[in-house]
Amino acid sequence: MLIPLLLGITFITFALAKALPGDPVYSMVGERASPEIIEKIRNELGAGKSIFRQYGGYLLLLSQGELGRSYYTNRKVAEDILTKAPQTFKLAFMAMLIAVPAGLLLGLASALSRRHWVDRTISGLVISGMSLPVFWSGLMLMFLLSLKLKLLPPSGTGGLQYVLLPAMTLALPALSSLARVTRIAVLDSRDMPYIRTARAKGLQEVRIIAAHVMRNALIPVVTVIGLDFGSYLSGAVLTETIFGWDGIGRFAMEGIIKRDYPVIMGCILVSTLSFVIINMLVDMLYQYLDPRLRIR
Amino acid sequence: MNPCRPVVFTARSFALIFVLGLALIPGLSCSPQNRPKGQAIYRLNADPTTLDPAYIVDVTGGAIAAKLFNGLVRLDPELRVIPDIARTWEIQDGGGTYVFHLRDDVSFSNGRVVTAEDFRYSFERLLSPKGRSPNTWVLDKMLGAKAYIQGSADHIRGVEVLDPHTLRIRLERPFAPFLQLLTMTAAFVVPRETVERLGSDFAVHPLGTGPFVLTEWKHNTELVLLGNPSYYSGKPPMSSIRYRIIPEDLTAVTEFELSNIDVIGVPAYEYSRFRSSDRWKGLLSSSQGINTYYIGFNCARPPFDNPELRKAVAAAIDRETILRTFYEGRGRLASGPVPDILRHWPAPVLPAYDPVRARALVLSSADRHPVINFYVNPDQEVVDIAEIIQWYLAKAGIQVRIRQLEWSAYKAAINNGEADMFWLSWWADYPDPENFLFPLFHSSNHGAGGNRSRYTNREVDRLIESGQRAADVRERNQYYMKAEHIIAGEMPWVFMWHKTDFTLRQPYLKNYHMYPIYSIDKGTEVSF
Repeated sequence: MLIPLLLGITFITFALAKALPGDPVYSMVGERASPEIIEKIRNELGAGKSIFRQYGGYLLLLSQGELGRSYYTNRKVAEDILTKAPQTFKLAFMAMLIAVPAGLLLGLASALSRRHWVDRTISGLVISGMSLPVFWSGLMLMFLLSLKLKLLPPSGTGGLQYVLLPAMTLALPALSSLARVTRIAVLDSRDMPYIRTARAKGLQEVRIIAAHVMRNALIPVVTVIGLDFGSYLSGAVLTETIFGWDGIGRFAMEGIIKRDYPVIMGCILVSTLSFVIINMLVDMLYQYLDPRLRIR
Repeated sequence: MNPCRPVVFTARSFALIFVLGLALIPGLSCSPQNRPKGQAIYRLNADPTTLDPAYIVDVTGGAIAAKLFNGLVRLDPELRVIPDIARTWEIQDGGGTYVFHLRDDVSFSNGRVVTAEDFRYSFERLLSPKGRSPNTWVLDKMLGAKAYIQGSADHIRGVEVLDPHTLRIRLERPFAPFLQLLTMTAAFVVPRETVERLGSDFAVHPLGTGPFVLTEWKHNTELVLLGNPSYYSGKPPMSSIRYRIIPEDLTAVTEFELSNIDVIGVPAYEYSRFRSSDRWKGLLSSSQGINTYYIGFNCARPPFDNPELRKAVAAAIDRETILRTFYEGRGRLASGPVPDILRHWPAPVLPAYDPVRARALVLSSADRHPVINFYVNPDQEVVDIAEIIQWYLAKAGIQVRIRQLEWSAYKAAINNGEADMFWLSWWADYPDPENFLFPLFHSSNHGAGGNRSRYTNREVDRLIESGQRAADVRERNQYYMKAEHIIAGEMPWVFMWHKTDFTLRQPYLKNYHMYPIYSIDKGTEVSF
């Protein structure tokens, strides 16, 4: 399924990119290039060929394991993506490292204290976290943690010190949706007959929550984690731009703005691939979490 | 009934969790890593596309290349052409021939001495038919350049090496701003052996004669330039320059306020705050930008092939109020296309803001209820200005439809003549009035060449061409003055303003100056 899916994605992206108005050559050559040079560059980029021939050429390139070269920098897109992918992975992983435990804890706390002020406070925070756009929450975190408290550097790509701020920004919507899903899943499973059975067996409340309530609540939670992680691996465009993080999202954004088609195509292809792989892993995890889904 | 007992969380327990969380990140700090002694940190808003002088078209790349390379001549802060690698020069044949006498103590950072042959190689490389440099226009005035570009000659006939340190350049015909052209990035000298060894990698491993040497380039993150100890005029006071690539303005401002950056360009929305702040008093620098902001009309088709309607639009817009209020006075009103700083003749007198006259002009035009497509780029400041202009024109009876396009589509649209009216600015390539007349108003440059208003006036063409050829500066200014006055009278543009740029620096930075053209800044003056 993977190959037809990727082929379909390449075709749709290619067609959409070519259908957009604008000509990358005008941005490449500055203000005063001669018409001959503009034409020469257009020919070198293959802009004069039919879209099908251009697409065929791109597929040929892919079959050789290449993603082409950037129109602007002439660097290999695959090499650029390989240097940026670990950064994006680091950011996505760190964001999930913050979001998952925090989201689960908040969701659980909210469910266990239903209708208590704690539940209402957490629900309010969760709705805010889901509604706030990252460019606002990111700048607010930067203002607070960098400018006022001087705890973290505002921007840059690097180790823990640099990744925390963008990771927290990304984690905010993720932990909010996780907390919400966890709360609902815990509340749902808490009323199930097997919980009453566990309680009748005299099990301790902590054990019931950990082994029975949470385990059964994990299926929707894992789905949300998978979707969020997959989308972060595709690059968090705004977060990476605000914090100057050198990842795939920022790379893709710059490609889109400059109409750098090989960069756009390469980023979308890699993003799709990582999204599909994450979803496959999530599917495999379902079978582990829920024995009913195992293929016999 | 709720079978679970509610777990009680108190405000105290939340405070405890927060403090514990903060304790998990000990040793974190927003301050930069220990910067090496004498290192300045500047900000770039984008990664340079290339640092190969032959291919640079962006300001970011040009500003760095100016510190890595040199040319025959360069500009001083007063915009005069002064010697660089050429110690002296003679102009012969009424401006048709230039003979440059080169210094013999200039070397590339690999230690090899620069000779006239290096310049010939660099110029031929720029114009090479095998290359695709977008900057061929800088040197295509040389004798035989066109034949060389087309591949029908082995060398540029007009470039001759008379001896290792003497270079003669003959032009196809006299071109008065030729020396200014030679101050541009595209005319910098490069070492043949390194270029041929590295091929296209020279773009990322540039090697020149400049006061700094590129030692590190982490794409999209930072570049580090180290002071060149063998620079011909002495090692620069700064030991190194670190350029941090920060795309977002607000992030850059935060970095600056934390002293992680030494100089920033002041974003428009921060101008008032910084100007009135006691903390930054005396640290704001400004430079009269050599630029012109304008509303261009498509003069080649209705409705703006009618000069009266163009004048109506110009009379309907209160430029002074927009500049004073919206722009907070960050510029000077334009009197024509040529910036005041380059104009050495009486400025044209433009009609004043007169909404009554504007309305009368609209009513007397053939199309009494025009609907105008006004093309703008996605910059929020431009969109805001477009809405103000839309309001002014509505008062004059002109209905404006704003078409906002992203940059690439926008440039294609205005180059192809799709817009009735468009917002644009022109920034000097070199400081000569010719740069604000020939590309923008000569009929040979319609569209992508620069004349996007498709203005055609044979008399203006002739005057500009005569100015280009006139060796005498007074005679040249006469031609330019006449051309500018005709243009201002026919109004292919609404001449809006010349924008002033501002930078803010840290108090510990000494001898910092802001220059109107990036190539002036060699980085050899600033110290701590």
